[in-house]
Amino acid sequence: MSPAAQTDVWAEFETGPLALAAARRLRAQGYGQLEAFTPYPMPELEEVLGLKRPRLLLSLVLAAACLGGGLAFLLMWWTAARSYPLNVGGRPLNSFVTDIPIMFESAVLSAAITAFLGSLFFSGMPRLRDPLDVIPSFARTSIDRFWIGVRDDQPEAREPLSRLLEQLGAVHVHRVEAGP
Amino acid sequence: MSSGPVAEVPLWPAPDYSAPPDEMALLPHPQSDAALTAELLDKVLHPPRWLGPAILTTGAGSTVLLAAVVYTLITGIGVWGNNIPVAWAFGITNFVWWIGIGHAGTFISAFLLLLEQKWRTSINRFAEAMTLFAVVQAGLFPLLHMGRAWFFYWLVPYPSTMGIWPQFRSSLTWDVAAVSTYLTVSLLFWYLGLIPDLAAMRDYAPERWRRKVYAVFALGWHGSAQTWRRQRIAYGVLAGIAAPLVVSVHSIVSMDFAIGVLPGWHSTIFPPYFVAGAIYSGFAMVLTLLIPARRLYHLEHVVTTDHLDKMAKMLLVTGSLVTYAYMVETYLAWVGGDSFERHMLLQVRPHGQFAPLFWTVIACNCGSPLFLWSRRVRRSALCLFALTLSIQLGMWLERLMLIITSLSADFLPSAAHGYKPSLIDGALLGGTLCFFLFLFLVFLRFVPFIPVSELKALDYELRGRT
Repeated sequence: MSPAAQTDVWAEFETGPLALAAARRLRAQGYGQLEAFTPYPMPELEEVLGLKRPRLLLSLVLAAACLGGGLAFLLMWWTAARSYPLNVGGRPLNSFVTDIPIMFESAVLSAAITAFLGSLFFSGMPRLRDPLDVIPSFARTSIDRFWIGVRDDQPEAREPLSRLLEQLGAVHVHRVEAGP
Repeated sequence: MSSGPVAEVPLWPAPDYSAPPDEMALLPHPQSDAALTAELLDKVLHPPRWLGPAILTTGAGSTVLLAAVVYTLITGIGVWGNNIPVAWAFGITNFVWWIGIGHAGTFISAFLLLLEQKWRTSINRFAEAMTLFAVVQAGLFPLLHMGRAWFFYWLVPYPSTMGIWPQFRSSLTWDVAAVSTYLTVSLLFWYLGLIPDLAAMRDYAPERWRRKVYAVFALGWHGSAQTWRRQRIAYGVLAGIAAPLVVSVHSIVSMDFAIGVLPGWHSTIFPPYFVAGAIYSGFAMVLTLLIPARRLYHLEHVVTTDHLDKMAKMLLVTGSLVTYAYMVETYLAWVGGDSFERHMLLQVRPHGQFAPLFWTVIACNCGSPLFLWSRRVRRSALCLFALTLSIQLGMWLERLMLIITSLSADFLPSAAHGYKPSLIDGALLGGTLCFFLFLFLVFLRFVPFIPVSELKALDYELRGRT
């Protein structure tokens, strides 16, 4: 984030389709950095905003699965074949086949924990407050409000932007200063 | 929205009414987002009058469980009815039954999510909570069955001064890994889906203290498009992980039996047979809980007759699978050439001292789902409710029958011995039932039990763009 205070313009919409149409229109008009808040997931909107696949998160999940399974195997091999070898009816000490269930469970467990914590961490959660909390009706986002945010770095473009957003059906247009 | 300013901008794509009519029936009454949220969250904020007494009653019933557990721990598991040779009985039956019940919850939330079945939306949170609470009950029994439950940590590989390690070639250590993984993954899956609704609760609840409590659990969720995307992708990943996990957990549970050499247990059909049975009994439990809750909470427009119909069809499918497994098991014993196996499957079970158990199992598990071929039965809540009770009884008895027939009459006729449960066995089973219901009612009291944000998304998807 740049040290200078940045200003975002946030438009409040009453329905998802309106917000989606507004985002499409803004995108068509060349507004680059758009953000959105919605009460439920809207895949089309994500497409308009140009959100990418969270590759890092998915790679971490895969890595955790491999690591979990691998470590489980190492542990079982070391305890059963090295540290405490116990001959049970002449069966092999390092028995890969009987290790499979626990390897699988460990892989699943580490992948699941990574997916859960990773999705929270990359989204900045848990967090105490959001810069947008200053807008009174922002608390209705989880219920029935849709927000489209536009990065507003050109003061001379402010008026037309607000007018455009209202034209697109925004019930309110707010300006939020986000500090460094 | 007035038409004035909107008319000047290019319109979004025309409303999409192409969703098939049977999908529209899943959410028959269109409501605004605000009205839908208010209606569903009010059910939690203003609970019906019966809920308090019901929680108290089941809580009182749970003290029976507490008493039975304390008595067992103090006296030893000699107070249970099992003994040599029937060393497993109610304890393992209850374990397998409870964990099987949990499987339908994960099946609904994971498999049906991956298969993009829209009807899972209204019921998935319900079913996931059922999973969690059922696994909690299940976990209790192996712990107690160890006899000295306070040494349970010996099953965990830790460097001890005794210099020994758990035996990983035993299926009992697989159980530990499977059940603890299953509980953790179910909890994470449930919670990840719940966060947006906890945020809605935080923003909707009128009282300040309530908002604060829900705010803690909502972890600061605000629903930015980026967060939604990550949440949905992580949710999909968890579903993708949970689906094979369900299959693995009950396969491992079945290996507790199949790895043993007893006649009637030592069979490769056990893993698929147990998984089908688990999902069968679990769907029955979902319906047992859902049918009264739907009526008492007036949720008929969210959990519609169509939902019941679809779940009844799942019961029919899994019930048929279980019936098929019974037939294959018996057929393989007949042609397999192992005289002990043949004696067990063709003589001891249908004609031995536990024959009444066997025939009740057949009637409940193979007979009662046949009624579900009738559309009228599938769409009648009362009939379905009665059938699910019969199926659950059947599935519980099936596990008991499997265990006590094989153990009571193995290879040596001189070692044969009968089995009778004790009062404490009954108290533990009844106590876990009460405790399960208690946890479930507490869940209904405090947690948004119908996924509000998912229903709004479904509404948007079905009626879309209007």
